[in-house]
Amino acid sequence: MKFALFTGCVAKGATRELMLATIKSAEALGIDFIEMKSAACCGAGVISEKNPVLTDAINARTFALAEEQGLDIITICSTCQGNLKKSECHLDEDVEYKDKINHVLKDGGHQYEGGKIKIKHFSNILATPEGKALLKEKIKRPLTGLKTAGFYGCYVLRPSELSEYEDPDNPKELEELFEILGATPVYYPSRIKCCGFPIIMMNKDASHAMAGNALIEAVEGGADCVVTGCPLCHLSLDSYQPEIESMQKKHYSIPILHLPQLVALALGFSPEEIGMDKHIVSTVGLDKILAQHA
Amino acid sequence: MIKHDVLIVGAGLAGMRAALEVCKDLDVGLLTKVYPSRSHSGAAQGGIAASLGNSEDDSWEEHMFDTIKGGDYLSDQDAVEEYVKAAPKVIYELEHMGCTFSRTEDGKIAQRSFGGHSKPRACFSADRTGHAILHALHEQVLKNAKSIKIYSEWYMHQLIVEDGRCGGVVVSNIRTGEVEVIHAKAVVFATGGYGRVFQITTNAFAGTADGAIAAFRAGIPLEDSEFVQFHPSGLYRQGILFSEAARGEGGYLLNGKGERFMEQYAPSRMELAPRDIVARAEQSEIDAGRGVDGKDIIHLDLRHLGEARIMERLPQIRQLGIDFIGVDCVTDPLPIQPSAHYSMGGIPTDMFGQVVIDEKGTPMKGFFAAGECACVSVHGANRLGTNSLLEATVFGERTGRSALKYARNAEFSKVNESHEKARVLNQVEEIFQRDGSESYNDIRNEMKEVMMAKCGVFRDAEKLKSCIATIQDLKERYKKGKVTDKGQLFNTELYEIIELGNMLEMAEIISTAALARQESRGGHFRTDFPKRDDKDFLKHSLVSRNESGMELKYKPVVITRYQPKERTY
Amino acid sequence: MAKFRIKRYNPEKQAEPYYEEFDYDIPEGATLLDCLNHLKWNVDGTLTYRMSCRSAICGSCAMKGNGHALLACQKQAAHLLKDGSDTITIEPLGNMPVIKDLATDFQQFWDKVDQVKPYLQNKEKPPERERQQSPQQFRKIDDATTCIMCGACYSDCNVLEVDKNFLGPAALAKAQRFVGDSRDQATRDRIKELSKPGGMWDCTHCGECVERCPKPAEPFYRIKELMAVGLEEGVTNNVGARHALSFVKSVKHSGRLNESKIPIESMGYFNIKGLLDLVPVGLRMLLKMKIPPIIHKPIDDAKDVRRIFEEFGE
Repeated sequence: MKFALFTGCVAKGATRELMLATIKSAEALGIDFIEMKSAACCGAGVISEKNPVLTDAINARTFALAEEQGLDIITICSTCQGNLKKSECHLDEDVEYKDKINHVLKDGGHQYEGGKIKIKHFSNILATPEGKALLKEKIKRPLTGLKTAGFYGCYVLRPSELSEYEDPDNPKELEELFEILGATPVYYPSRIKCCGFPIIMMNKDASHAMAGNALIEAVEGGADCVVTGCPLCHLSLDSYQPEIESMQKKHYSIPILHLPQLVALALGFSPEEIGMDKHIVSTVGLDKILAQHA
Repeated sequence: MIKHDVLIVGAGLAGMRAALEVCKDLDVGLLTKVYPSRSHSGAAQGGIAASLGNSEDDSWEEHMFDTIKGGDYLSDQDAVEEYVKAAPKVIYELEHMGCTFSRTEDGKIAQRSFGGHSKPRACFSADRTGHAILHALHEQVLKNAKSIKIYSEWYMHQLIVEDGRCGGVVVSNIRTGEVEVIHAKAVVFATGGYGRVFQITTNAFAGTADGAIAAFRAGIPLEDSEFVQFHPSGLYRQGILFSEAARGEGGYLLNGKGERFMEQYAPSRMELAPRDIVARAEQSEIDAGRGVDGKDIIHLDLRHLGEARIMERLPQIRQLGIDFIGVDCVTDPLPIQPSAHYSMGGIPTDMFGQVVIDEKGTPMKGFFAAGECACVSVHGANRLGTNSLLEATVFGERTGRSALKYARNAEFSKVNESHEKARVLNQVEEIFQRDGSESYNDIRNEMKEVMMAKCGVFRDAEKLKSCIATIQDLKERYKKGKVTDKGQLFNTELYEIIELGNMLEMAEIISTAALARQESRGGHFRTDFPKRDDKDFLKHSLVSRNESGMELKYKPVVITRYQPKERTY
Repeated sequence: MAKFRIKRYNPEKQAEPYYEEFDYDIPEGATLLDCLNHLKWNVDGTLTYRMSCRSAICGSCAMKGNGHALLACQKQAAHLLKDGSDTITIEPLGNMPVIKDLATDFQQFWDKVDQVKPYLQNKEKPPERERQQSPQQFRKIDDATTCIMCGACYSDCNVLEVDKNFLGPAALAKAQRFVGDSRDQATRDRIKELSKPGGMWDCTHCGECVERCPKPAEPFYRIKELMAVGLEEGVTNNVGARHALSFVKSVKHSGRLNESKIPIESMGYFNIKGLLDLVPVGLRMLLKMKIPPIIHKPIDDAKDVRRIFEEFGE
């Protein structure tokens, strides 16, 4: 399996441990990721607040790059995934619009043809029958005893017609992966809700309350950790957890993992190798749980 | 006791338009059993007629003639003249209020063709014209919140009439169950129609004759009740409306053999003949065994219009087909059948919305009506598509003005509050005390079935007599229905029971008037009297109740410009 | 046989809500509303919900099916049975107080609609005929005007769950219907109001309103259109607008986000309280070396990206 890896900005910045774990787990699984080093930011749904056409143009350039590589795009961020899909939809449903954008891309030596490549989140390829078989084959340390609460990230689910998940209102893909890795999934209502990150600066209290509700539900559901497919959710749930705790006057200290970290753990990597020591909320407790069941 | 200068019952197009007139000078209460934005006017799809001439030259005279011919010459022509002359102005007013209309390339209000109209004069907002106007009016009502008090989810039970003057209404708050008297100098009814009496109907669940029956029980006769319009394109079995705009945009009607059968019935207008003619043609095809798959189905075929035009002009229709029967009209024809749609008859009014109580035109002081619940009559025996939104708007405005003028110079009448309240409280208590041996659901279903089968598109004396007998029997059974909810809080079952009582009364009125009219005209077709009979029946019926039962009277039709002629299309 | 698991609540009888199950064999083609009507009319007349048009235009029958808001009349009941499950869970709309069973109190919903001055504002004397509006101008408000005020978006809005002060998707879509209307003259005043806390910038992009909207109104997309107008109009003295501008600047410059700069630029260099709020999390991340590289590295060929930004007017 070979893909063009669209890293997104955050995995190269504030959550570099996500990038680390992605590369490690891909290597161990024998999946070839070719990093798209000249791909620009997906716009994160923010550039389109100012200039929707520009967003689609920048993303059309990214798609053109993948077409040039002849590879499907893999994202490791729910926000990137959703925004790329949205642009793809805008471009593919309106030929005139696509032509207009291609006209501008031409001067940079790129053209987006459309229909040639797919855009998928890392979790989507892991959740295919081939992906699952591959995981089963390569697992070195089943995560037995670990209770994991999935947190999907809005952009991979909604709008549902652009989602790669089978039933975006009640997705099961992350939980199925947890089971394959040997962990026990925890189901809770907030797993498909918003983490609050997009308004963390505009309405801090509401943002933290959203994240806090997810954390409470996960903890009450007995989860040992929350596993997210989106680094922005990770920032909201992990980096801001102390603020959330003080706002809600509660103490959770629940570790938040990136999905590739969970995969890498099962593939035998040590927590340090995949940057778990970089988290704000300590993940040390997870080692203990895993050790107990080892 | 609640007091308003003017109290309007019903917050659809007519009610809200009236409220906007009254609130210019007086305090107004606007009462609705739903929310204003949930009124059934919003379900109107295709358009609102006015001779703007934006796409072809047009004139009010042509609009007037089309309306009168469409109504099979039963319209009061003085009222029609006022109505069509007012049309352009009220459309512009709506536009100025903010109503959204689909536009021509040069920025004018776009207009399209509609059944029975000789010119493209339907102004529209895609295929949700009623919705666009309803919300534009609702916006204006919210803007005038200081002088319009909205009573959402309140139910009107009875009209208060003393010494020949209307003094208010008895109502209840659906949410709390509390019964109240609303004292008003003038009352305006804009309560809509009663399609729910029939099994297959385009109407909302709310269309249950509440206003017409409240007036009837207060001693006001109902006019032209036998004239019920069956819409040619209700969804098979469910009656959900597929706008006539689908045909206005060029859609075909096909029978089971795939033939455009309208050729046999209205060769010059084809699918765009008036609704009574198209509905009858469809029913004739079905009755002759030429329905699709031998069922009560006609096909509405839009495939040749193409996806782009459908998405621009008829997007909602496409979605309705997909949601309700899984048929995408871009690729497949829609299964339809005639569905009860509109009541041409109703509470008799003059052309200013003043309710009149007899054939001599005696006014009921302080009582006004507008919209579908009223019979002015501009539609005569059959209403043309897009003329109802226009009626609601034109007569909503005029009636509002009349009520304002009246209330300015009137005092509050004397009302015996406890006596009025007790009438409703006793009625509710009586319902709660019934012995419970009958199912209201069965009664409702049987009423709807018999009205459809025996008082539907095709009628005859034998069917109608049996229909009346069945309804009378159902009325007896109704007195023994089973109640399960006896609470005060949001008791929707109780209101459904009261509504069923209204509908049974209405069903008897419709079938009684239909039996008496021994001719065929517009929406009323008697197989035993298949011809129009101007000698004996060029007149409006008035049904009232006396001690011995239903009583029929008639009043003449006002004819000014256009003498009755044979009606062909 | 399907099980309808309905959340019941009647404070006249019992203070706490509870779930009740009804068995019903769903007839072919039956909508959820058809099924509820069957239960109400044949099994339990106390079952309470709103309904009217049953053709998805009046907006009365919004409720939750399997946890998500929908219009009962628009939903084929059988479609709610997924994965061999035989149970459909029906609950009242969220983010509103419940009156009885599935009937909720819409007061706050309407109050918020009122807050956006939901009517055309144009001080000029109207012309004798219609005001001109091109089909292109009409199209700008076409989607927003399809809103039927059913409350489905309001029910599932993630922000409203935690902040009752948020205007919410329906009111914001209604606002767009006027901001986008070529005939309305209050754009700037409206945008200023909408830029306040609780307004358009408080939308968290969760997309629930798009997903639940039974019509093409899809409030989130209307909110984005409002934001674009806000930036266009230069109403930028707020965190949301500064955030968007900083973001665009950053990606234009290097092809990717500069995560160190954006929070500071968003808060505003003179927003002392806002900046102080950033300190603890900033320090915390610094201690864990969880910060972007000190030297912000552009993507390869960032020049081409900058060119595209310029071509599209940034």
